[in-house]
Amino acid sequence: MPDIHDPRRRSVLAGAAALGASWLLSGCTGASAAPVQPGGETHEAPDSGGTLRIARPPASDAETLDPASALSAYEYLGALYNRLVRVGADGSLAADLAESWEPDAKARTWTFRLRKGVTFHDGRAFTSADAAYTLRHILDKATASPQAAVLAPLLDPGALRTPDAHTLVVPLKTPNAEFPSLLTHYNCYVIPDGGARAAGRTGIGTGPFKLESFTPAGPGRVVAFADHWAGRPVLDAISFYSVADMSARSNALLAGQVDLLSQTNLDFATARVVAASDRATVTRVKDAQWYVLPMLTTEKPFTDVRVRQAMKLAYDPEHVVKVALQGAGTAGWDNPVPPSDPAHISAHPAHDPEQARHLLKRAGHEGLAVELYTSAYDPLFTPMALAYQDSARRAGIRVKVRTAAADSYYTQIWMKKPLMATYWFTGRPVDQLFTQIFRGGSSYNETAWSDAAFDALLDRARAETDDTRRRDLYGEAQTIVMDRGGAMTPMFADRLVGISRAVRGYAEHGFEFDYLGIGLKGA
Amino acid sequence: MLAFLARRVSAAVGTLFLSSVLVFLAVQALPGDVAGQILGKDATPDAVAALRGRLGLDRPAWERYADWMGGALHGDFGTSLVSQRPVGGEVAAHLANSALIAGVTVLFAVTGSIVLGVIAGLYRDRWPDHLISTVSLVGMSVPEFVVATVLVLCFSIALPWFPAVVLYGPDASVGQLLPAVWLPALALAVVMAAYIVRMARTSVIDVMAGEYVTTARLKGLSSWRVVTRHALPSALLPTLHVIALNVAWLVGGVAVVENVFNYPGIGKLMLSSVQNRDLPVIQAVALVSAVVYTVCNLAADLGAMALNPKLRTRGRTR
Repeated sequence: MPDIHDPRRRSVLAGAAALGASWLLSGCTGASAAPVQPGGETHEAPDSGGTLRIARPPASDAETLDPASALSAYEYLGALYNRLVRVGADGSLAADLAESWEPDAKARTWTFRLRKGVTFHDGRAFTSADAAYTLRHILDKATASPQAAVLAPLLDPGALRTPDAHTLVVPLKTPNAEFPSLLTHYNCYVIPDGGARAAGRTGIGTGPFKLESFTPAGPGRVVAFADHWAGRPVLDAISFYSVADMSARSNALLAGQVDLLSQTNLDFATARVVAASDRATVTRVKDAQWYVLPMLTTEKPFTDVRVRQAMKLAYDPEHVVKVALQGAGTAGWDNPVPPSDPAHISAHPAHDPEQARHLLKRAGHEGLAVELYTSAYDPLFTPMALAYQDSARRAGIRVKVRTAAADSYYTQIWMKKPLMATYWFTGRPVDQLFTQIFRGGSSYNETAWSDAAFDALLDRARAETDDTRRRDLYGEAQTIVMDRGGAMTPMFADRLVGISRAVRGYAEHGFEFDYLGIGLKGA
Repeated sequence: MLAFLARRVSAAVGTLFLSSVLVFLAVQALPGDVAGQILGKDATPDAVAALRGRLGLDRPAWERYADWMGGALHGDFGTSLVSQRPVGGEVAAHLANSALIAGVTVLFAVTGSIVLGVIAGLYRDRWPDHLISTVSLVGMSVPEFVVATVLVLCFSIALPWFPAVVLYGPDASVGQLLPAVWLPALALAVVMAAYIVRMARTSVIDVMAGEYVTTARLKGLSSWRVVTRHALPSALLPTLHVIALNVAWLVGGVAVVENVFNYPGIGKLMLSSVQNRDLPVIQAVALVSAVVYTVCNLAADLGAMALNPKLRTRGRTR
């Protein structure tokens, strides 16, 4: 899928080679040592200048710099472009090219006041025409943008209005008080008016870096844009290198050929080796990956809500975090909204194997036996599955863990087998998360769950203009998902990111990466 | 002799034909609906049906095979489903990069292992033999990606002499690739050498026990002359076949090693095309590998014939 957790972004071979590497490397370090702590020195202020070298998994051999495309080269986007709105470090919305935004009384029309004095890399001034054009480009069927599925039901491209050069008015088809949050997606980076055709190659945006070279699935380079509206970035340039194999990426870091591994969650053995190296270290992005055990609610026995409830009550998420993550993460308690999200509620049903046993008995499934599919696609799938198996045994549920091929995992197993292990990157705004993954009939609804009361609640939440009341409604939605939904969320895992010890000012959360502030020591 | 040649060549052509059929069938049998796999997670049924039509998957298999073979014979392998570029050019660029590794590997492995094999054979059951035999057996038993990883650890990470990975794409120049060629070549050579060492050792032992070597010795020739002029040519003969087979094995061996080093060769192309279900590329890579394999075998047979009078004259004496 063209989301950032694209199955094709990780090589099958990585598993085998990484196994070889970790077997070789973990021999001398204590296998039970806790996963590494962030290196202290990487938080000092960077020196100005220098070239940062980033190794990245290519999106595809046909990847492009068009932000709206399903095959966009993710790492380049934040360096080259800006959005209207971004997500701040605290999870709330922050200004990017829009300085402020407000809805009308019913949240049916949104007005964005745009920043003045912003220029594109080719010298043109940024105006509301560019913002409107970008939205129309995303909605254009020919673009086939993944975010179009989210935005198309809400807005009509013909209805966009630009009363002056710095005002964009967006009338919506249905009220949505969360609309600006949907524009924080990485498909929504702003391109210049009329630039859709060229965007894939030229990468002209308003971002802190401008493009020097780009090769799909190959090397590329961006250089500092001195006229960037928020000031010049710390670095002089960034070189991006495409390295598909995960262990090859780690080797490049260890050998000092690159400074940062993007979209790479190091496995524990490799992380220890990296942390022990004198060139590189490991830093954590808190709760960056959201792990799910989706139960297909259209397949027996999960059609019965009591069985789903029993499956959830039967296991202890704290146990899964301890065993599968060695503590490097947070227990999910079957709530898909990450703890960092302002809408997250901490209340949840308690672990209760006795109640699970009781529910199964009532549902006529005493001594339930289920098959749980996993694969080498992600190093945490199998540990998570085994930890679940172990924990659920106390409630009398027998789980058989089956391993499937990694390269066809997302076409053969996901949304096909009744129970399997999967994950997403966190960073979706709460409305998009529910609408895309939990609403009945939505495109990524991996549990095929459809609950009219839940969908109606989402509609009410979207239309609610009072922030506190809206947050309460999203809280209620979380309660329903925990209670009746098909998704088990055992854990949020920290991403272990390999970086050079020379990197300073690295800051990443969700789909936000601080390209402006990152730099190097002694550059 | 001509009959022998004709027989060998026609056998090779037959093998190629059969392998093209097998390649085609194997690709058809890949798990997962091809159109669904290509479109990924958020494919709609309409899009899948449209792509199936565009790929011609709704036509009978033999028809598609005939089309594909017809194109391939004219050097047209179709268009990549992913990059939308002609497959032929893409495969050629990657193949050239792999040839660089293969050339260096063969040079290392053949010269090194023949020397070692001859030494082991001449010092049979003495310590040089034991040392060489043990080390080469270990080299043979360890998978190539482990050898590659160990080499990276030693010569890229602990001692930063060589790059650990290639950071360039398939259109990198020879100058850009050259520093990165040595470690993969060494990894492949280590695995490959063992076979050649064992073979060279055995033939040297056989030959040195032969009557004509005894005669040469009795004539009072120096041992150096006995070995280089009399023993070696005969000992090389069976080794030649093993070398050719190993060159053919390289085609598969590079697949793993190239991925460890992110080297933009045919092996990396093979893996990424399988993951992307880029059928035209998979088929072209597999077919090209089959050609390399068959040609190597043919070369081994013909080489053996050229060196062996018995084979060369068999047609006539009968």
